[in-house]
Amino acid sequence: MVFSRRPRTDEFEKAAIPHLSELYRTAARLLGDSAKAEDVVQETYLQAWRSFDRFESGTNCRAWLFKILVNTVHHHRRKGFNLRLVKDSEEVLQQAVAPAAPIPEQITEGEILRALDGLPVDYRAAVLLADVEEFSYKEIAGLLDVPIGTVMSRLSRGRRLLRDRLAELARSYGIGQEGGR
Amino acid sequence: MRCEQMRENLDAYLSRELPFENRREIARHLENCPECAADLAARTRLRQQLRAAVRATSVPSGLETKVRGAVRAEAVRPRTGLWAVAAAAAIVIIMTGVGILRKQASPEDAILQKTSGPLAAVLKVGLIDHLHCAVFRKYPRTPAPPRQLSAELGPQFAELAPLIQAKLPGGSYIIEAHHCTARGRLYTHFILEDGGKLVSLILTPRQSGEAMGGSIYQTGVDRFQVVGFESHSYLVYVISDMDATGNLQLSAGLAPTVRLYLAAHTG
Repeated sequence: MVFSRRPRTDEFEKAAIPHLSELYRTAARLLGDSAKAEDVVQETYLQAWRSFDRFESGTNCRAWLFKILVNTVHHHRRKGFNLRLVKDSEEVLQQAVAPAAPIPEQITEGEILRALDGLPVDYRAAVLLADVEEFSYKEIAGLLDVPIGTVMSRLSRGRRLLRDRLAELARSYGIGQEGGR
Repeated sequence: MRCEQMRENLDAYLSRELPFENRREIARHLENCPECAADLAARTRLRQQLRAAVRATSVPSGLETKVRGAVRAEAVRPRTGLWAVAAAAAIVIIMTGVGILRKQASPEDAILQKTSGPLAAVLKVGLIDHLHCAVFRKYPRTPAPPRQLSAELGPQFAELAPLIQAKLPGGSYIIEAHHCTARGRLYTHFILEDGGKLVSLILTPRQSGEAMGGSIYQTGVDRFQVVGFESHSYLVYVISDMDATGNLQLSAGLAPTVRLYLAAHTG
């Protein structure tokens, strides 16, 4: 067996540090706590560094780092409280196929983030990875270690719930109360 | 009805996840249906707003410096701290040969290099994953919820977790189970806590040239005890920092369950 030499830190930093802000914002939204997100990001980089000699250059460094981040977030959440997702209840299924509701155009960033943070964590992860970080469904399946069908259903329900939460907000602004779709 | 079907696909359309034919069909529909076009515009706007909101999160000042510092500290640490530990450890080597420690080796490699010889090579397959996953990645030492285990293990191995739990001595439990990859090889890995000792039960599909026949093999490498056997196209390992007798007893307790399970669940 051939043992590779430890790669140099500057090579690692050059490849990995540019993704710091994406990793941090994803961790912050998944954990809902900026201090924990900092810890998780730091742990992610340490894990990545420890396995950097097995990372094949030329492959997708960003996806590799996100994969480590997702696992680290997962372990971090388990330390305190098991928040493994809500069941795919009938209620959620019904909501997922209900007609679309209007969303206020004057919505603020704070309101969007509150609605996002209110989603069950597995749905939130799928929505963040697809709609914010723009990973493909196939890549997300790899990151979350779930079949692609599961990614699609989490996305469909997550996006739907997000729209519903924002539509509730719209109603509170007096938009769409005349029964419009 | 047609509009409803279209709308179910609008998000996938936006994400460019639909095959060309479906994309074209939707594009044609959108040209003639102002309602669906308005719906697409609303979804596009929401996605842009969401992206902007999340991306507006600023990275705390100092995080980058902290991360760089932690990585650099880690980069120098194993060569000093762990070398001292490795030198001080009572090294038990039952298998043939003693690998020579090389300066550039990682702490994992430093231990792995202490095994050599053809049979040691096959036992090393399991040790690689134990070191990579259980020892150098720290997991919280609390019992994992059964549903968590099933979810991590997937259908093929989900039912093995409760069977293993049932065979463990009192006070021992599974803290983690998952599929993992180390050095390009896929493992199914149960991490157990047994009276303060960290134990791995590891399964990996046997590759050509790897064979242990019908025997159970045991070796000690550094502070680890490794038991390995072959079962139904898998190599199975029990590795821990228990003493040799303890590790062998635990293995003997688990082996029949694993063998029966693999017999029933592998083709």
